[in-house]
Amino acid sequence: MDPVDINIYGIQGVYILWVLTAISMFFFLRRIVKIVGILKKAKPENRFENIKEHIVNFILFVLGQKKIFGERTIGLPHFFFFWGFVFYAGSFWWNLIRGLIPVLPIPYSDEVGIVALALEITGVLVILSIIVAVLRRIFFPPAHLQQSFDAVIILSLIAILMITLLLGQGYNGTLEASVWSPIGGIIASGLTGISESTAIAAFKAFWWVHIIAVLFFLAYIPYSKHMHLLASPFNVLFRNNSQPADLTINSKSEDVTTGASKWNEFTWKDLLNSFSCAECGRCDRACPALNSGMPLAPRVILHKIKEQMYETGFKSTGNGIPELFAEKISKEELWQCTTCMSCMQQCPVLNEHIPVIVSMRRFLINQGEVEQTVQDVLQKITRYGNSFGQSDRNRAKWVTTLEPKIKDARKEEVEYLWITGDYAAFDTRLQGITQKTAMIFQKAGLDFGILYEAEKNSGNDVRRIGEEGLFEIVKEKNIQSMQKAKFKKIITTDPHTYNTLKNEYKLNANGNSISVHHYTEVIDELIRNNKFSVNKKLNIRATYHDPCYLGRYNGVYEPPRKILKSIGITLVEMPRNKAKSYCCGAGGGRIWMEDKTPVKERPSENRIREAVSLKDVSTLVVACPKDIVMFQDAIKTTGNEEKIEVKDISELVFEAMG
Amino acid sequence: MKFIVFLKMVPDVIEELKIADDGKTLDSNWIRMKLSECDENAVEEAVILKEKFGGTVTAVALDAPELDDALFNALAKGADKAVKIVGEWKDVRSPAIAEIFAKYLRDNYPIDNQTLILSGSQSIDDIEGELVYYLGELLNLPAFGVITHVDYDAGQNRISLVKEFAGGLRGEFESEVPAVIGIQAAEKPPRYIPIAKIRAIMKSASIEEVEIPLDGIPSGAVIDKLFEPETSGKAEMLEGSTDEIIEKLIGIFSDKGII
Repeated sequence: MDPVDINIYGIQGVYILWVLTAISMFFFLRRIVKIVGILKKAKPENRFENIKEHIVNFILFVLGQKKIFGERTIGLPHFFFFWGFVFYAGSFWWNLIRGLIPVLPIPYSDEVGIVALALEITGVLVILSIIVAVLRRIFFPPAHLQQSFDAVIILSLIAILMITLLLGQGYNGTLEASVWSPIGGIIASGLTGISESTAIAAFKAFWWVHIIAVLFFLAYIPYSKHMHLLASPFNVLFRNNSQPADLTINSKSEDVTTGASKWNEFTWKDLLNSFSCAECGRCDRACPALNSGMPLAPRVILHKIKEQMYETGFKSTGNGIPELFAEKISKEELWQCTTCMSCMQQCPVLNEHIPVIVSMRRFLINQGEVEQTVQDVLQKITRYGNSFGQSDRNRAKWVTTLEPKIKDARKEEVEYLWITGDYAAFDTRLQGITQKTAMIFQKAGLDFGILYEAEKNSGNDVRRIGEEGLFEIVKEKNIQSMQKAKFKKIITTDPHTYNTLKNEYKLNANGNSISVHHYTEVIDELIRNNKFSVNKKLNIRATYHDPCYLGRYNGVYEPPRKILKSIGITLVEMPRNKAKSYCCGAGGGRIWMEDKTPVKERPSENRIREAVSLKDVSTLVVACPKDIVMFQDAIKTTGNEEKIEVKDISELVFEAMG
Repeated sequence: MKFIVFLKMVPDVIEELKIADDGKTLDSNWIRMKLSECDENAVEEAVILKEKFGGTVTAVALDAPELDDALFNALAKGADKAVKIVGEWKDVRSPAIAEIFAKYLRDNYPIDNQTLILSGSQSIDDIEGELVYYLGELLNLPAFGVITHVDYDAGQNRISLVKEFAGGLRGEFESEVPAVIGIQAAEKPPRYIPIAKIRAIMKSASIEEVEIPLDGIPSGAVIDKLFEPETSGKAEMLEGSTDEIIEKLIGIFSDKGII
């Protein structure tokens, strides 16, 4: 039976199908061409290297829907939506082509037993998934989920597709039973007593409703939030594989470090983020700035750029586009990002929010628009090479009381060059901890040295503020100093320093890259190799805060935990741990900024609240100098001095060494 | 308007200051030089005035270590021309500096009724802010120090100024142009100049050098001796309960013969 074989007022079905297909394809293609046109007007960026990794990403995150499972309720349903879509889309094109060209010697997809069975099973799974999705939207919507009318339309459309197929199968089942159509059979058993002609008419009607719904869906997709369905596979395919939240824009033809203030100043990949967004709100839910009651919302940033593209991108010229800061994105919210990367960690379509935000910060910096406290710090780093605005000569003041003296790696060869970062060296609250770390290294017989006054701020946060020029300068200076020193590996104290040295300095000696280690990795290794003995097990219950730039950025989760275990500490995890760790609020230059608007609860305060809620835990262990500063403050402002104290992991190791 | 800003470098007190063996100067091995803070404000104010009223800004500075950075910074901010004055003189003070600047103007920069001369209102080696007044005297122009606001009336060709006095008082002045103005603070804090912009300026712009001969420059005051502050007394913290502190305080008062 050919469902296309109908006749409406003398017009044959096949012609109707041709007309409907043409209309649908017209709207679909017109929009796609326009959107591709927008992307072509954007700045160039090479995302075509490492093809193998791109394909692996595609398999994991598109076909495997890996990130979607981050939220359990909707994880499996969306998995079924995706595969249902793929399967039904395949079946649709098959049937459409068959219907448009009646002379083709092939059956319709549902006339092939195994395909019919698969369609029915998928249909049922998708219907169940829709029920979950609807219940979630109505009864337990997560915060920041966009309850748009768009979503209602899409869910209804999907439901129509599934129901029409199954009912069609049911009516078809009354004509001839098939072992390949169990669901159809069940429905058919409820349709006893209808005539053959009614059954045929109903089957054809459902076929047409189904195909019209798909054609509508097709035309509607690129106009709706379901654009993500077309854009996100490419977004995943072209993700930056070299490092998380990479700020190096690989573009030979144009200098893109001047930043962006309007859509056509972003790279095409930056814009693809906006088209890929499914408005699920996971990034917003994870954002420490947003949760503190600040106006920044990562999803909204991408959305506003999309809005501007739609408003001005379809015109032929790029002139007259207003700055995003004029009405869409406030400068204030851009400065609120801590670059903690929670948003990117959560995003199921692998959107890259941080490079987009930093791009806009770069623009502002290039205009000289930066708040006074940050300007002061940038000028201090420019002049003195450290964010504290102290003389170079003070950098190694903390070593003066140590015996034996710490080697000067510029004068003596060492195995490890230790780069402490500014906070560990200059902050009087932290120098004692840095000394303890040094004493641990000394007791363990580690061969290490420092650069003394030649070390400069590594520029990790400078870069994230958007001051690319200054980043390049401090990087050059540090590399020059390192080239004068003799060493094999690098240890860092500050995870921010760790991140940039490891991923952005591209250090190498004689063609071999120099490995960069966080001090927790080194101490863990020293313990495992029995380089020092734990004389005093601490026997306390403690929790550990994963620094963003150590954990999420660089995947160092286990070494600190292993250290804690080996010194006798019972680790009690906070609900948000490892990749879901909650930022202390210091990153991305935030530590140098002041809160302009009243804040509901600072990220560090929120985190302290989480830590004190743990049973019988009175120690919060950290592995980042900035965490000590942030959390000591937060403990005071939340009045939790009696309940919890913050300790650097080095302090505990030192204590355990006895 | 033609804005001319006179600048000079001063020792950076963030770095350790050491007195040289002659006992009269700072050890140049140790010091780093930077633009005086008021001078930075003077550059900013000149650029702000240029943006408001049009014209050109010329930054003129005495040669010193690290001066080029400061001049390129001024160019990146919006100055149109940067001039470095070189000469045989060494360790000059305000009267001599004023003389050098005045000489520069006489030979290179004709002053007309569209010229406004700016400088920092004081610096660590010009504590009284005397430079501006010396300059005014030498050029025979009205001079104003400690200025925090400058406005210009093009129709009248007059400037109005706000001058800060001690005790939070302010005075409003009006003057004809040309005039010499010592800037205490620009209308807005000096803007941030991104490194990329400074680097671009370094490639595209150049600093003009002008030599001013040594002869005829008065030395002014001469330093006999430079020394670090001497400790003359110290604070003592009284500790203990309130009663104990009162007890100790009474003891101290009676020892000193106060009670």
